[in-house]
Amino acid sequence: MMPGLRQTNAFHTDLDHRGNPLSVSEREQLLKPYLPPRPAKQEKGDNRPPSSRPRHLQHQPRIRPALLHLLHYTLFTLLHAIFSIYIRFRQVYHAIVGRLLAILHYHFRTPELIKRDVRRLSKVPQHLSVILELPPEGGKRDRLEALIVDACEVAAWSACAGVPMLSIYERTGILKSSLPSLHRRISKTLTSYYGNSPLKPTLSLRAPHLATYSPPHSPEPAVHGDMVAAQHPHLTVLLIDAADGRQTLVDLTRTLASMAQDRKLAPSDISQELIDAEISESVMGEPDLLVVFGEGVRLDGYPPWQVRLTEIYGVQDNNAGVGYSVFLRALYRYAKAEMRFGR
Amino acid sequence: MSSTYGTHLRRWLLGLPPVEWAVQQIRGLLISTLKCGPIPQHIAFVMDGNRRYARQNSLETVEGHHMGFEALARILEVCYKSGVRVVTIYAFSIENFKRSRYEVDGLMDMAKTRLVQMSQHGELFERYGARVRILGDLSLVREDVMEQLDRAAEMTKHHDRAVLNVCFPYTSRDEITRSIRETVREYSTPSQRAAGRGGFSESHRTSGVYRLSDFMLWQCHEDTEIRFVDVLWPQFSLTTFMPILLEWQWRQRRKASDESRQGVLKVQ
Repeated sequence: MMPGLRQTNAFHTDLDHRGNPLSVSEREQLLKPYLPPRPAKQEKGDNRPPSSRPRHLQHQPRIRPALLHLLHYTLFTLLHAIFSIYIRFRQVYHAIVGRLLAILHYHFRTPELIKRDVRRLSKVPQHLSVILELPPEGGKRDRLEALIVDACEVAAWSACAGVPMLSIYERTGILKSSLPSLHRRISKTLTSYYGNSPLKPTLSLRAPHLATYSPPHSPEPAVHGDMVAAQHPHLTVLLIDAADGRQTLVDLTRTLASMAQDRKLAPSDISQELIDAEISESVMGEPDLLVVFGEGVRLDGYPPWQVRLTEIYGVQDNNAGVGYSVFLRALYRYAKAEMRFGR
Repeated sequence: MSSTYGTHLRRWLLGLPPVEWAVQQIRGLLISTLKCGPIPQHIAFVMDGNRRYARQNSLETVEGHHMGFEALARILEVCYKSGVRVVTIYAFSIENFKRSRYEVDGLMDMAKTRLVQMSQHGELFERYGARVRILGDLSLVREDVMEQLDRAAEMTKHHDRAVLNVCFPYTSRDEITRSIRETVREYSTPSQRAAGRGGFSESHRTSGVYRLSDFMLWQCHEDTEIRFVDVLWPQFSLTTFMPILLEWQWRQRRKASDESRQGVLKVQ
């Protein structure tokens, strides 16, 4: 139990209430009433005084523990009943807030509206990361289709908000199965946002251990000349899955071990910088912001090395899945956060 | 002015023996009540906000750390009494060495005093049956503190009912790097070692900063429930902790009922 104020104070300063330093036994005396009972094992030990009465006459408390247990159980049930009512209310509340925000800030597939939404922000992440989930139900085609639609939308929002680098994490890696077709889909979505405007960003798609897929641009850059092409907005989309997390670190260990066996590298040369360089090159660097579209924050196998200082955003009780309002709220929070690096 | 008067009144009220007794009884009752449901096996805390707490209440920074330590003691008690087996705390980051000399020294002194106090009460520790393990780069620790750390770990090493992991000069990247280095050194078995500790059930971060700051990256990127709690660590107590535990229990039960429903579906 929490010691009372007097005891806390005494512990804090290591002095008793008259200002004399406490001795070890005094301190123990202070704490005695708050300690849990000795573990049962020790009670059976020999240090207990031998009792004078025969064993069968000794009082064995039975009713009191049973009553206490009953009380605890009743309280537990009651508490959970109240709590589940509370949580339902909270879910409804969050759902309403989410809906309202979604109505107030809808993008209408118009880049200008998204730009207006992010204009007030002091900074936009240079590397944004999202965790998407393959819907658990439905046929394989439908699930993949839903996932691709989500990925395309997020890519379009990022492009409009001016994020140059987007990494999409999906546990199973099913998105990686066909880069060209995904590239086509994202381009199509971008076109539906930008129309044929010259501001439409170019797109390259890549995944670790796979070649970058960026097909030759449509004639636009040639028409506008090199000057414009240099400032032309560009979006890089990176696809990652669970194998790019732990597995990469294990593979790296294996590679380093075999290098050490060949005497190309001493174990003492392995430093954080070396590993960081290797990982950044083979997978990606640290994202600035990670948006989780699930119900709560769960990383679900996201690459561990990279999330060190990443700001993580998830909306409590988010049932709506991938939504523009969640994306926008994440950007807002990111812009407000003060950068604190261990200081 | 009125707020200081308020705290005085509160302190006086809480200090009254009957009130104190009642508060204790209620705490005990709540903990026993929580115990009726599932309890996470492993909880990790990032104790953040001691300095901001001190600043907000115009205290010395070191004082803030002291308050933080007391909050820790309270929470540890709740955890162990309610049946959590492993508690991991992020006590000191390697990055923290960048802070002012004065503060780092103050922190180290505090760690030492607490450890000395701890090892004087070895017998009391036995009642919780907690084993202390230190994780981190110990080569960075001051000699005299190191001695006490060793003593504490040595003294409690035979306890087996619970574990307290103290991350003291720790960053997760450092941990991963070291385990890779060790593995490479051993040549024979190129596999990760750090994984042995297993995943968490829950991880908490206090104080409205929303990142992991290099804590337990390897251990909590799978199925751990991460909660960012918007209070400063010294204010973290049973009242803030209980809703989180309750929600976890609630989720756990819902998951269990979902699974049983799925089981039924499969049978049909």
